[in-house]
Amino acid sequence: MNSIPKLIRRFVGIWLLSSFLLIVLNFVMLVIVALKQSPNGTPWKAAEQAAAALKRTEKGYVLSGPVSDELKSHHVWAIFIEDATHQVVWHTDHLPDSVPLKFSLSDVADLTRGYIDGYPTFTGKLEQGLMVLGYPKDSFWKHMWPSWDYQFIANLPKMILFLLSINVALIFLIYMIANSRLLKSVRPIANGIQALPTGKPVYIRERGLLSELSVNINRTSEVLQSQNDQLRKKETARANWIAGVSHDIRTPLSMVMGYAEQLKNDSGLPDSVQKKAMVIYQQSQRMSNLIRDLNLASKLEYNMQPVKQKRENAVALVRQVVVDFMNTDIEKKYPMEWETEDTLSSCFVNADRDLLKRAVSNLIQNCINHNENGCTVYVSVQSTEKSCNICVEDDGIGISEAERKALNTAPHYMVCDTNTTGQRHGLGLKIVKQIAASHGGKTLVEHSSHGGLAVKMILPRLQ
Amino acid sequence: MASEYLKTKRILLVDDEPELLDMVGSILTEGGFERIKTAGSVKEAIAAAEEFYPELAILDVMLPDGSGFSLMKELRDSGDYPILFLTARGEEEDKFKGFGLGADDYMVKPFSPKELLYRIMAILRRCYKEEDSLVKLCHSEIDFARAEVVKGGKSIPLTAKEHALLLALYRNAGRIVSIDALCEAAWGENPFGYENSLMAHIRRIREKIEQNPSRPVSLLTVKGLGYKLMVEGD
Repeated sequence: MNSIPKLIRRFVGIWLLSSFLLIVLNFVMLVIVALKQSPNGTPWKAAEQAAAALKRTEKGYVLSGPVSDELKSHHVWAIFIEDATHQVVWHTDHLPDSVPLKFSLSDVADLTRGYIDGYPTFTGKLEQGLMVLGYPKDSFWKHMWPSWDYQFIANLPKMILFLLSINVALIFLIYMIANSRLLKSVRPIANGIQALPTGKPVYIRERGLLSELSVNINRTSEVLQSQNDQLRKKETARANWIAGVSHDIRTPLSMVMGYAEQLKNDSGLPDSVQKKAMVIYQQSQRMSNLIRDLNLASKLEYNMQPVKQKRENAVALVRQVVVDFMNTDIEKKYPMEWETEDTLSSCFVNADRDLLKRAVSNLIQNCINHNENGCTVYVSVQSTEKSCNICVEDDGIGISEAERKALNTAPHYMVCDTNTTGQRHGLGLKIVKQIAASHGGKTLVEHSSHGGLAVKMILPRLQ
Repeated sequence: MASEYLKTKRILLVDDEPELLDMVGSILTEGGFERIKTAGSVKEAIAAAEEFYPELAILDVMLPDGSGFSLMKELRDSGDYPILFLTARGEEEDKFKGFGLGADDYMVKPFSPKELLYRIMAILRRCYKEEDSLVKLCHSEIDFARAEVVKGGKSIPLTAKEHALLLALYRNAGRIVSIDALCEAAWGENPFGYENSLMAHIRRIREKIEQNPSRPVSLLTVKGLGYKLMVEGD
């Protein structure tokens, strides 16, 4: 499941990016608003300017033209209160009626704090008095001075940071909720798709955002299951058929074998008849081996043979097989040489005892089958760091390089559909290969240094 | 080998194929057995066992009126004698089932007549030891009952391990017994690392049974593989 972390990484990335963009956007908007504000200038500055622009002449006080126009254009009225009399000695033309023309000290204190009759007021100082500008009602947010709590201003950066982080957290939460729902609905589908190739039945609840996908995956799984079932049924039928046939052949074949052996040993019969009986006996034995191999091969092929693996000493096991062969080879036509190092008394492998014995005896039987005029069979077990090698060689006729290559790469007897008319080799070596494979090992066919064929089974060694 | 007495044992053959019964019967007759009785079904087998008192039964697994395994149980109720299965079913589970129920051996068809005779002899030898269990070797005799070797009129006692090893070799007389099988006979299951001890024991046995222990004629070494006991008169 590599895609989930990737997905999460991507979502977190999007979240970070959007948070960053949001902050930038806020900042930009703030700057724009602030810039929009600035043409008005600060009213305090305007009051200072107006105060500076008021000149005393013989006709009284006169405000210079441009400042006067500026005030007029913004609908700002202005008055000048003289220090000595507290009287309004000058005012703009459009002074509202509600503005008094005489101010007490407390009135002055009031207006410096903000308002005259709801008009926001700003003051500028002059030598002789006080310049007061009155802005239109509702042009400024009214508040009292000193308005801001010191702690509030002092904590403002922290506050802003806090607010921003709350913003970011909120976005994160929104993302989490949105994405986790998506992830939640994606995960079973991803699991389902991953489980499909294993061949196990898959069922995903057909709900959520991606329910259509779930439905299709479920359907795919059903199709696969039914196909697998059919395939398994066919395979079982095939294996059972082979088992049945081989079972039914066993009893008649034992009779052929039994009587043939009696006849070949019957000294009352002429030599030529005994020889014929000998051939019958040998061929029936070949059939017997074939049936045995066919049954096992089909079971191994369809994984029907339970492989009961245990810790086994390969040296002892191979030695027993060799001894069994030597005990049955009465004519001494196939002498055997044990070429294992004397010091190697054990080499442990995880193996099914019967199957491994079968593999080794198949290899030895192969040497015997392919060398009718007799040969010496050399058997050895070698222990390397990681593997246990069982090697069966002979000094017989051997095989050509092309045959050797073909044996090393040949597909299985049962799946091989080309060249079926040609002479087939027995199943012996194929079974050895299957057995080696089922034990996690492999088989190598080589030319023996003794002149004939060498087959090596390489199995993983324990410890 | 002095095993003629084993050929007098009564053998009960059970198989549903009359031809196969004939053939196994003829193998046994040629092998020297004289007292043979055949049966084609569970019913016949039980009836035959009641009057024949078999000393060995050879059973097929699949019979027309029951399984060979259940027949074995019934036969075992009436007498304790060895049972060998001879069957066309070669499945491993069947094999284990047979041994699990106490079968003495199990052979899958088709079988070699020689192999059948050998196995029958091996079972009989195991189960019916000769009263006078004296085994003649080239230069000596082994008395298994008294655990001693008689060489040149002198009797030499055998240790327990030597006795066990000789017995394992004698039961497979003329055949190679692997090093591992001998170790198992002497030291029990999963023997490992006893090769040197085995060699020491073999040397001591040779000193007792051979005239010239460094040139053995009765207890032969098969290099790297095992040992073979040669018995006189076989």
